[in-house]
Amino acid sequence: MKYICLILLAWLSIKNQASQDLYACKNVKVSLFSSAPLEDITASTSTGTSVYNPATGDLAFSVNIRSFQFPKSLMQEHFNENYMESDKYPKATFKGKIKETIDVTKNGTYPVTATGDLQVHGVTQTRTITGTAVVNNGTVSLSSEFMVKCADHKIEIPTLVFKKIAESIKMNVSGTYTVAKSS
Amino acid sequence: MKKLILIAACAAISTGLCAQTKPAESKSAADSLLNSMDAGNTKAEPVIATFKSTRLILGATTETVKKNNLNFLVIHRFGDIGGSEGGGKTLFGLDNSSDIYIGFEYGLSDNLDIDFGRSKYNQQVDLGLKYAMLHQTSDDATPFAITLLGKTGVKAYTANQGEFPTFADRLDYVAQAIIARKFSSNFSLQLTPTFVRHNSPFPFLAGNNRGFFALGAAGRLKVTKRMGIVVDYAHPFSSFRDKATGDNAFYDPLGIGIEIETGGHVFTIVFSNTKAISEASYLAGSQSDWGKGQFRLGFTISRMFSFNKKAKEGKTY
Repeated sequence: MKYICLILLAWLSIKNQASQDLYACKNVKVSLFSSAPLEDITASTSTGTSVYNPATGDLAFSVNIRSFQFPKSLMQEHFNENYMESDKYPKATFKGKIKETIDVTKNGTYPVTATGDLQVHGVTQTRTITGTAVVNNGTVSLSSEFMVKCADHKIEIPTLVFKKIAESIKMNVSGTYTVAKSS
Repeated sequence: MKKLILIAACAAISTGLCAQTKPAESKSAADSLLNSMDAGNTKAEPVIATFKSTRLILGATTETVKKNNLNFLVIHRFGDIGGSEGGGKTLFGLDNSSDIYIGFEYGLSDNLDIDFGRSKYNQQVDLGLKYAMLHQTSDDATPFAITLLGKTGVKAYTANQGEFPTFADRLDYVAQAIIARKFSSNFSLQLTPTFVRHNSPFPFLAGNNRGFFALGAAGRLKVTKRMGIVVDYAHPFSSFRDKATGDNAFYDPLGIGIEIETGGHVFTIVFSNTKAISEASYLAGSQSDWGKGQFRLGFTISRMFSFNKKAKEGKTY
């Protein structure tokens, strides 16, 4: 009987460990889109990093502001220098939890909702962001589209360029995660 | 029965322990994994926007025009505000133009641009290359930026004192190493060691040095995100210029102004004693004295055009 107890314990701990795998992605694609009467602006980076823990639902993102590439180099300079002040606030981050449980052993598409803290331009906002998770043979792909209001993060747009930059910026985030480490 | 209870207790404890301790651990594990992945991502970045424009007031800054961008410059210097040429009769110099400069700067690469400009003063035509050799980095591994500037100019005006026996005598050269540091997002300073050479001495006076060294110093203090106070000064090291007195006395070029940036345009409104805009001309021939009211209003309009169609992917800057 003692053996059964031990086996049960061992099995429980193994099962627990198996589901404690961390999923990570080092090339999260983040793009922004601003649509204003005078100008449409897009910029993107594919060097975002993210970690997802399917067991707990914990999800964390980090992206370097300086890594965003714009079609016009002057725009890129203004984005860093005037709007995002990337020398003071070099990163944008999201730390939160995915509400739904994703079964990483079963292929499929899951609608997901993540709630947590979005930090942009040094200002933290609690956000609930919807997205899609796709499980495919042990990899998890997460993608989401959401809006970020410049005013929410104290990003000032001078009246002079008001018609060139949208008040709300559309963000697209997507990445494919693989097992990074078992805890 | 006892054993069953034992098993149940074991299971409860083990799962209970898991439930209580594992999530906390794994959260920190997720954080530490993110941090470790980020560590490779937080390498030092080159410092950008040390200055808003390729020119401050008198001289060039360390900024170059990025690849496939064109910077169009219109620089204007009005006449003397005071003195014999100023006052109410010329509306404090606004009736006159000491110099008008039209310039084009095109980015051959992100660190190299080619400059072309034409001045009213001496009908000077300049062609130059500007190369950003060293970028200041955010971790101060490189504490300052160095940009090299080389220019060749031709004085196109008709000679009236026999100053241009051959075409080569019309040529002048400027070589500069521009050293700048952005001390904070609001404050940038630069030093500009320069060598100037005029094949025929300028101004065409007996004993004038053909070539001499000069040192420029310039700075910008931003008062708002888009407006700053700018100062630009230069001193030519020339024995002839130091000794000249009276009507032929030389005065160090100095400009003070404000700089306003409106995404795409940079406007500079300045007061300066020097009449000329081209480096070769103002470093060699500044004979206007602030004290005699021989300073003027001036402005610079800098407009950047981009010919890049597609976003550059995977480049760091």
